[in-house]
Amino acid sequence: MTRYIAKRFLLMFPTLVAVAVLIFVLVRVVPGDIVELRLVSGGMFVTKEVVEKERIRLGLNKPIWQQFVDWMVGMVRLDLGTSMWTGAPVSQEIAIRLQLSLQLAFMATLIAVVLAVPLGALAAIRRGTWIDYAVQVFSVAGLAVPSFWLGILLILFLLTYFQWLPPLTFTSLWKDPRANLLQLIWPALAVGYRYSAVATRMTRSALLEVLREDYIRTAWSKGLAERVIVRRHALRNALLPVVAVIGLEFAFLIGGLVVTEQVFNLNGIGKLFVEAISRRDYTLIQGLMLLVAFAYVAVNLVIDLLYAWLDPRITYG
Amino acid sequence: MAASITITPRAQPRPRWLGWFIRRYPLGAVAGLAILTMGIAAASATWLAPYDPLAIDFLAMFSRPGPGHWLGTDAFGRDVLSRMIFGAQTALLVGFFASLAGATLGGVIGVVSAYFGSTGDLVIQRLADILISFPLIILAMAIVAILGTGTVNLIAAIALSFVPRAEIIVRASALGIRQTPYLEAARALGAGHWRIIFRHMVPNVVAPYLVILTAFLGQAILLEASLSFLGLGVAEPTPAWGLMLSGAAVDFVQRAPWMAIFPGLAISFMVLAFNMLGDALRDALDPKLRT
Repeated sequence: MTRYIAKRFLLMFPTLVAVAVLIFVLVRVVPGDIVELRLVSGGMFVTKEVVEKERIRLGLNKPIWQQFVDWMVGMVRLDLGTSMWTGAPVSQEIAIRLQLSLQLAFMATLIAVVLAVPLGALAAIRRGTWIDYAVQVFSVAGLAVPSFWLGILLILFLLTYFQWLPPLTFTSLWKDPRANLLQLIWPALAVGYRYSAVATRMTRSALLEVLREDYIRTAWSKGLAERVIVRRHALRNALLPVVAVIGLEFAFLIGGLVVTEQVFNLNGIGKLFVEAISRRDYTLIQGLMLLVAFAYVAVNLVIDLLYAWLDPRITYG
Repeated sequence: MAASITITPRAQPRPRWLGWFIRRYPLGAVAGLAILTMGIAAASATWLAPYDPLAIDFLAMFSRPGPGHWLGTDAFGRDVLSRMIFGAQTALLVGFFASLAGATLGGVIGVVSAYFGSTGDLVIQRLADILISFPLIILAMAIVAILGTGTVNLIAAIALSFVPRAEIIVRASALGIRQTPYLEAARALGAGHWRIIFRHMVPNVVAPYLVILTAFLGQAILLEASLSFLGLGVAEPTPAWGLMLSGAAVDFVQRAPWMAIFPGLAISFMVLAFNMLGDALRDALDPKLRT
């Protein structure tokens, strides 16, 4: 097992290097000059001297291979360069916002699980009844409703009935847990509902498949109660693919956070990404994309390990 | 006209596909009808919309929904209903072209990659694997950062972020066909690579292609709305649903909730319709793709 974990862990690195190369190519091989694009999009009056100065400041006067080497060498030392806008190290810009986004992602995932597993199971057990249809409509709607609109509606609701407005500053969980949770529960709900949709469908179809198995019929003929059959025999086996889906959704959550953080005025990774894009801060964009890819690769690793642990049939070698 | 390819008519008459589809998948048919209605409304927006979507009327700022303005007005006194009807144009235009371009480009790459195989295929697969590790919106935003904002760039950004997803699905279908005897036969008859690809392989991946195309439509509309909401998509004053939900709609949500409620409903409704049609089409055309 240790060998398997070590092997899987080491395999992460070639993937990440490939991702880094791709991101660099994607972001840097821009048609046109990065500096001019940035200055023009900032609405500044530019002379040749200004452009040249800016280019030296950003290290863009070096040949492209040198820039690439710098980026790769920096990565090994966890140095993602400095932001083209604020001048602060990219890793620092990310670090100060990561706590908020991670907490929000965890809360949203938790909400998604709490919604998806019981609803999906209920739909599968009561297949073809109005409960099944209601759950399916609920989850299909979750995929169609934009999470930022849901966020706006939540704010409208809270404003009207509780005179609550999204606070301007973020309260850390360690400082004031109550204020922190009150602040983050609403965006987590808006994101979590959307992400529960896929997991609900997955739970339903996986459970339906398991319920057709022979050993479930045996359990029925033994005279076990439905509750015991579902909880102890069926759901346990059905949850394996659900774990995978929820894990991948967690890795993808940062995409959902991009709009939701904007609505709820939360200064997290998603908002930083939007700012980086609109300011054309290429080093910051590179760093953030690397973070997203890292989250995906890391979550995949965790899912594989979880699988090996949950399902004894999977051999690791 | 030296080449003579005689096209023999099909032995069996085509089954009445549409009628069968409607009877078998009533929900999908209803969704299709809803989309058709919205499409017609969007196409005839100039005649249908009661007001000019860009007309600013400071005397009618934040008007409540009523007989004058059915769905109220926004912070500039612009008619919400008219902006929504014109917004449907933007949504459908961006959604349709982005999905079409993304699915087609990805599909062609997928088929060609599956046909030729070897190193090129391997490299393309690794690349696609990496690209799908980014959420659609992140990929689209990164491309917007490179191309700049504006409607055409928005279409390109959404289309490009679909390419790896389409490529992987179409390639998987095309791989199965590569080893079939009739393809061997075509090769033995001396058909060139491109002839085999476009005459023999492409028709066989039409089903998964159509399925992903409809699945993309809903996602593209959602992406367009999200990007416009973030200020990275369609620019003011062009009427777009996502744009209508940003800025004043949030700031004045309590004073003028209609500004925020109706465009969001429109997005949800349209995406829902496309998703339902997509699901029905998937079940009808290619049940293997069901997840």
